[in-house]
Amino acid sequence: MFRCKAWLLALALSPASLLAAEPVVVLTSYPEEMMSRFEEAFEQANPDYRLQILWRQGFDALPFLRQADQGGVDLYWAPSPGNFARLARDGGWQPLGVDLQGLPPRIGDTPLRDAQARYQATELAGYGFAIHPPSLAELGMDAPKDWTDLLDPRLRGRIALPDPARVGFAPVLLDIVLQAYGWERGWALWSEIAGQSRLVSRGGTLVSDEVASGRAAVGLSIDFFVASAVSNGQPVDFVYPVHGGLNPAHIAITRTAKQVDGARAFVRFVLSDAGQRLLADPDIRKLPVRPGVYAELPAGYHDPFAAARKGGYAYKAASRERLALVTSLFVQWLGQPHERLVALWARVHAGEAMGRDLQAVRAYLGVPPISAGQAASADLLQLFGERQDSGMQHQPASDQDELGRREIAWQFHSATRHAEAARLLDEMGL
Amino acid sequence: MKHAARVVLLAALALVCASARADREAFSQPLPGLDDEARLERFFKGRGLFRQAWVIAPSQDEAVDGLGPLYNRITCIACHPKNGRGQAPADEHAPLRTLLVRLSLPGQDAHGGPRPHPAYGDQLNELGIPGVRGEGRARIHWEERPVQLADGETLSLRQPRLSFSELGYGPLGDIRTSVRVGTPVFGLGLLEAVSAEELQRMADEPKADGVRGRVNQVWSVERQRLEPGRFGLKANQPDLQQQIASALHGDLGITSPLYPQENCAPQQRECQKARNGGTPEVDGMQLMELHFYLSQLAPPPRRAPDRVQRGEALFAATGCAACHRPQVQAGAQVIAPYTDLLLHDMGDGLADGREDYLASGNEWRTSPLWGLGLIEQINPGAGYLHDGRARSLVEAVLWHGGEAALARDRFRALAKPDREALLAFLRSL
Repeated sequence: MFRCKAWLLALALSPASLLAAEPVVVLTSYPEEMMSRFEEAFEQANPDYRLQILWRQGFDALPFLRQADQGGVDLYWAPSPGNFARLARDGGWQPLGVDLQGLPPRIGDTPLRDAQARYQATELAGYGFAIHPPSLAELGMDAPKDWTDLLDPRLRGRIALPDPARVGFAPVLLDIVLQAYGWERGWALWSEIAGQSRLVSRGGTLVSDEVASGRAAVGLSIDFFVASAVSNGQPVDFVYPVHGGLNPAHIAITRTAKQVDGARAFVRFVLSDAGQRLLADPDIRKLPVRPGVYAELPAGYHDPFAAARKGGYAYKAASRERLALVTSLFVQWLGQPHERLVALWARVHAGEAMGRDLQAVRAYLGVPPISAGQAASADLLQLFGERQDSGMQHQPASDQDELGRREIAWQFHSATRHAEAARLLDEMGL
Repeated sequence: MKHAARVVLLAALALVCASARADREAFSQPLPGLDDEARLERFFKGRGLFRQAWVIAPSQDEAVDGLGPLYNRITCIACHPKNGRGQAPADEHAPLRTLLVRLSLPGQDAHGGPRPHPAYGDQLNELGIPGVRGEGRARIHWEERPVQLADGETLSLRQPRLSFSELGYGPLGDIRTSVRVGTPVFGLGLLEAVSAEELQRMADEPKADGVRGRVNQVWSVERQRLEPGRFGLKANQPDLQQQIASALHGDLGITSPLYPQENCAPQQRECQKARNGGTPEVDGMQLMELHFYLSQLAPPPRRAPDRVQRGEALFAATGCAACHRPQVQAGAQVIAPYTDLLLHDMGDGLADGREDYLASGNEWRTSPLWGLGLIEQINPGAGYLHDGRARSLVEAVLWHGGEAALARDRFRALAKPDREALLAFLRSL
């Protein structure tokens, strides 16, 4: 039914027929919208190459890339800094072999490539606050500028907090505050913020939904989730707090890559002006790592390099073990049952509104089960490192293992401290 | 369910039920009345699966592994971006992406359906997971021809010509092919509610202008019998569940209770040896969640219908509404899908020459037109018709032939203001 014509001959002689026989295999955890844009733009700019996109979440990508043939992957591109570091230690990467001129080696305290340039950051995501401007106007307040602003009484019950136990990006939110304000003050802040927030059990989309609907006036999130809600016409905006945090995505070429030239072409494209500008697409909205392109982005586009020059990004990326530890502390101490914490803080706020001094109650609610020194203990971090969690499917605390026994102790700390706080409030008639 | 989770779900409901949304999420809203937590939870789970990128087995992400071994894309949403339309490649150098090629040999299978190619099956899977050769590349070359409207305005129509290269499993031989772009996925639950009797009643109804229309009879894998077809571009699927399972199998290489065997032909040895992601890879619950999500996606409401009444009258007067029916009985309610779900001969220009059960090579199911006016906004550049060949609504109308030839000719004869009025009506859908 399709007859051979002159155009077939033309086709046979066209550049498309000179395509490399095998595609460049890219493993990523990025969503379809982003990968489709980059795939199309790359193949238009580099008609000699084509891509094959494979997908795996961060926790699942690591064992896949540790196989002998590295899963047939030529290139790994994902916002999973820990994976890049671990595979670098394993000798899993080969030198990138591309010109990195114009790309700073770090932003604030966040390195953007490893010392041997085996992997390089390609874009950044910023943590911060999704806001619903109409609700804030109704509440008569400006947008929060930093974490302590979340304690504004007008925001009580109007904050959407992603549950660190169930939302992948949330542990970093915890750690940003702990680094910025110190262990004790940071946890006291988290106790009170959690005590006046609603826990959202699913990722960024649902936080954005909460805020866009006006149910929450503020939601803690990552910029690109909110940006896509903005581009879809929803009434939300995003604030990068003074004490911010950045999550870099990196790119690296595997040791066993078969399509090295094509892989390098893709790395060059992603890091080029054109590739970096593509990050501002309404369906992507990531922060470029090439400072030179910010001048060409839409007005008001957040420039993290400018913010970093003012000291805004002093956050140092934490280890997987540290993030697991702060998540567990949050869950055992503040998260179960979260309703109990909310009720206690409501009573504290009501009492303070009546002019009562409730510092003693605050002390019961705001002191974490372990000190900063204990949290930095190599033994404890190792226990978290050894735990075999699968993604967000955490094992329940069990007294059959050392870590479980510690977590149960933290739950006990929570129960006794909260009971003490309740007793004090009862005695004060609050 | 915990209180917090309930609050969140209801908040999400409040958002997603915002009426008359004309933004880029207009194809992603649920039908009114999706107001209890359990149903909303299922809706979001189904949405998650529709947007899920499937992974190669084995994986720690067990619920979503089993991609391929042969496949076209790794997500459902890739071919239905924002639940809307895919796009044909711009030229012969561009990959197909959201377009696929159906294959078959002349003749029929045991149930009267297309006869799969012995080496390639019924669809060209361009990609294989690492270690499994893809089946080859298809390219589209466009042939342009000018066409003139009655008022002298000329435009060019483009027709796809298909070629193959890098075939991984030997020559294709004498085959039938059909090129398809991803179609919008909203309103499907409403179309499923149209009874078989109503389909037959619409087919039997006398029509003007030589318009006929008939019900396809297709094989139900679940019930093991022939049933009226209603989904797919040739109405070759009896129900939404089979449509979904078939697409999972054909496009992603994901097995399900309806299609439990991997999509590997006997001579595709690497394919047969590849690890699977469970037997089947999508279980009955996941299939139900996908079905629930897609059956609950609402067609977008019309925008300002009172401003396009003249165009609506012209739509009826030219004869378009004979097949693109503005009112269809769907169970207890009347819906406005602008389709009769019937097969019609659309002429040689649109023919793919590939039979599909009762559908001849010239026959296509009338495409629903609801949501048509938002395509340019939500899927810019997507084009229209089964293979995305029409770059504008005018081109789409001019491609109509066969039973629609008289309606097309009336459209072509319209004075420009009338034509614009009719197009304005289409853009209001």
